[in-house]
Amino acid sequence: MILELQHVTKDFEGLRAVDDVSLSVDEGAIIGLIGPNGSGKSTLLNLISGMASPSAGKIMFDGHDITQKQPDAIFQLGLARGFQDPSLFFQMTVLDNTLLPVKYQHGEHPVWAILRGSWMRQERAHSVSALDVLKKINLREHFGKRAADLSGGQMKLAEMARSVMGNPKMLLLDEPTAGVAPNLAYSIFEQIDAMRRDLGITFLIVEHRLEILFDFVDSVTVMHMGRVLAQGSPTEIAANDEVREVYFGD
Amino acid sequence: MPGPLLVDSLVRSLQVGSLYALMALGITLTMSVIRLPNFAHAEYITVGAYTALVVSLAVSSNPVVILGLSALAAALVALICHFAVFRPLEKRNPSTYTMLLASFSVGLILRYILFLLVDRFDLFDRRIAVPLEIWYRSNSIILTNVFFWVVPTTLGLVLALSALLNYTPLGREMRALANNFELARVIGIRVERVKSLTWILVGLLAGVSGALWGIYSSVNPLMGWLAILSVFAAAIMGGMSSFVGTILGAYLVSFSENTVMQLLNYYLGLDFSFKPAVPFIIIILVLLLRPQGFTEFFNRARGLQR
Amino acid sequence: MNIDFFATAIALLTFFGIAALMAISLNLEYGVAGIPNFGQALFVSLGAYTAGITYTRLMPLLAGQEVIFPCGNTLNPALQLRTEIMRTLPGVGLANFAITLVIAAVIGGIVGYGISYLTLRVRQEWYLALVLLVGGEIVRIIVRGYEPIICASNGLSGIAQPFNWLDNAQLASILFALMVVGFAFAAYLYSERLVRSPYGRLLKAVRENERVARSLGKNVARIRAQIMFIGSAMAAVAGVLFALNIGFVSANDYVVTLTLDVWVMIVLGGLGNNKGALVGALLVTVLDRVTAIVAIQLNMLGSEFEFNYLRFILFGVILLLMLRYRPQGILPEPQHTTLAHDMSDAS
Repeated sequence: MILELQHVTKDFEGLRAVDDVSLSVDEGAIIGLIGPNGSGKSTLLNLISGMASPSAGKIMFDGHDITQKQPDAIFQLGLARGFQDPSLFFQMTVLDNTLLPVKYQHGEHPVWAILRGSWMRQERAHSVSALDVLKKINLREHFGKRAADLSGGQMKLAEMARSVMGNPKMLLLDEPTAGVAPNLAYSIFEQIDAMRRDLGITFLIVEHRLEILFDFVDSVTVMHMGRVLAQGSPTEIAANDEVREVYFGD
Repeated sequence: MPGPLLVDSLVRSLQVGSLYALMALGITLTMSVIRLPNFAHAEYITVGAYTALVVSLAVSSNPVVILGLSALAAALVALICHFAVFRPLEKRNPSTYTMLLASFSVGLILRYILFLLVDRFDLFDRRIAVPLEIWYRSNSIILTNVFFWVVPTTLGLVLALSALLNYTPLGREMRALANNFELARVIGIRVERVKSLTWILVGLLAGVSGALWGIYSSVNPLMGWLAILSVFAAAIMGGMSSFVGTILGAYLVSFSENTVMQLLNYYLGLDFSFKPAVPFIIIILVLLLRPQGFTEFFNRARGLQR
Repeated sequence: MNIDFFATAIALLTFFGIAALMAISLNLEYGVAGIPNFGQALFVSLGAYTAGITYTRLMPLLAGQEVIFPCGNTLNPALQLRTEIMRTLPGVGLANFAITLVIAAVIGGIVGYGISYLTLRVRQEWYLALVLLVGGEIVRIIVRGYEPIICASNGLSGIAQPFNWLDNAQLASILFALMVVGFAFAAYLYSERLVRSPYGRLLKAVRENERVARSLGKNVARIRAQIMFIGSAMAAVAGVLFALNIGFVSANDYVVTLTLDVWVMIVLGGLGNNKGALVGALLVTVLDRVTAIVAIQLNMLGSEFEFNYLRFILFGVILLLMLRYRPQGILPEPQHTTLAHDMSDAS
């Protein structure tokens, strides 16, 4: 069990956005998190990634208690997240974007930065792996391009590439296929599957496109009004009456 | 500490506090409705003071005439600055620092234009020509007519402003703009018109406060610039959005500068040359300890809310 | 007209070097890292006051003499002492100078570092600007009123530049100018190198989107504090050089206008561009000094017109025009890519 939420609750000025949610994710799994708008999915992601802190409950990741930890500390422990809105650094190049998350860079220090010898070799090695990753998603030729000049689909892929560079053990994704054409959406999920297979990364994915999501996830958690409504395999969830009612008003 | 000394400093705190309140309200209005930290406000005040001087020397010593013309002059200057500088800049979606620098520059230009004019017309070291009379005398205090102009005028203007904000359509539009800019535009509020009218209001306030300040103390081209940090301190106490908070802040700043300073000097021997540091220390303390000012306490009160 | 062109040029060069140092420090803080530092007056003044203290309290000790209180009754003996030391013991003078630089840089850096953490609590970003502006004023008022630092409002004179023991005054001023420009150049090189390194990449990311940077594992608060340390240290060094250049330390030299001047330099020259910072520093220095000279000359010729006032108006107008029509500055930010790109081109 790499991620565990125990009775996590979040209150906002009288509104209970997340209500006694317990969840556990096994290493190497791909878990889907679904629910209608306002059900608390984004808040839950914020709580896990450290951008908000729970009013009650505990969150454990890879043996560490991350309930009150800051986002940067959580990243260093191996838990990374993606954002719904494009979160690339648009004024920087694709390569710089990809190189940024790499941990323990010697050159990221105000003094050593000017002594090139201390980080050149490392930077070169990182660049090679970064370019490799970019190659897998067909962005290698664009490495020097400003991120703002990429197409929407390319941006999504670049963000995925960037997430991988930090060597995460687990990735939280917030609607990774939002606003993307169906065939590209499918290939994004194929990348996710490939990353699980080749790199052993665990995934927790918030997603609305159920038809694609259900093809790739091991299990699904459904949220409604801040609580966990149902949990199970995609088939079980699809057949669950309560879930259908919440989603389709059957 | 001797009674008369204390009473005297309290009277002074009251007068200066009233003036700071008028000036700070202008800043609060600017910050909440127009979202601009306007350092040129200092110069609107100075313009008001010099208009008062010129009017008193050349036209009339009637305080109502003086105050009225000063208010109008400052309002005109505020409008000109809006149309000539701030509006064209705002259209390009600038950063806050661009606007900050712009307002500093506008202030700089206005200040030295005033210097030029004062030099040309030999207005240095002149006092506003209003008759000074003692209207009340007792064992411990002497109150002049100036006192009775400053405090009631402040009160009157504050009430008028509050009435305007709460009971008129313009006031409603201004408050809507202060609360939620994007939404206000969507509802169909004519943003540009409200902004222009707000600037006029801000200018009027600055003009009156400048004239009164000039009558109360003296007139020099740097007077606005020298007072502006005290004024900002007061506005910050009000969290840049609450009227009551701003007014209270103004009196608090004035009280610290005058009465508290007097006490520190009398009992601890602290030299008066440290007096300008008082509003600065207040600003830092408020910003670090309670950055939202005192708005929370007055959330339900009148005034602009965030 | 009675102008010594050569001396003026040397003076201009010295002022330019000091201005350049300040501009590069602010450009690093705001142009590259996105930290709006409105505290130049504060940090520069800290450097100058440090110089005031070391030249009156430390230097006599280094020369094996007693320290004489530099104000009030003992003002003249103290002044004579330090003038004599600087003339006859150049080694001591230079050593004192070096120590002053180090102490000033450390003090400036620590204050900058501390302020950076304090202001994490401040709500709106521009409140930080106000805190720094106001902080500078508070320090100025305290120093102006509390005698032991630089003799309150009287200030300290006789704070001479480290080469003034030379018999040839012109040579002394040339050497000092070159040294100042050397410092500016070192700052420039440092800043340029930094920008192309992984640290520069980090700064640009933090500047653009702090939230995402944090979610990618970067400790934004610490990075900001680091930059503030470096920038403030640079500004403090500039303050030492400034005081030595005019030979006098007075609290009234470090007013809000100084902070504004440096901002004007980087806005004019181009945000985020080190060359732009140099260009801006040059422009502002030239504008400032030339108009000052013109004002004096006009006055000497008996002109009634107070050109001094016009200087400021001109300044404000130029700044407004730039903000309106060319907000990116004269030299826009270069598309500096990190060295990784040069390496990748080959592979």
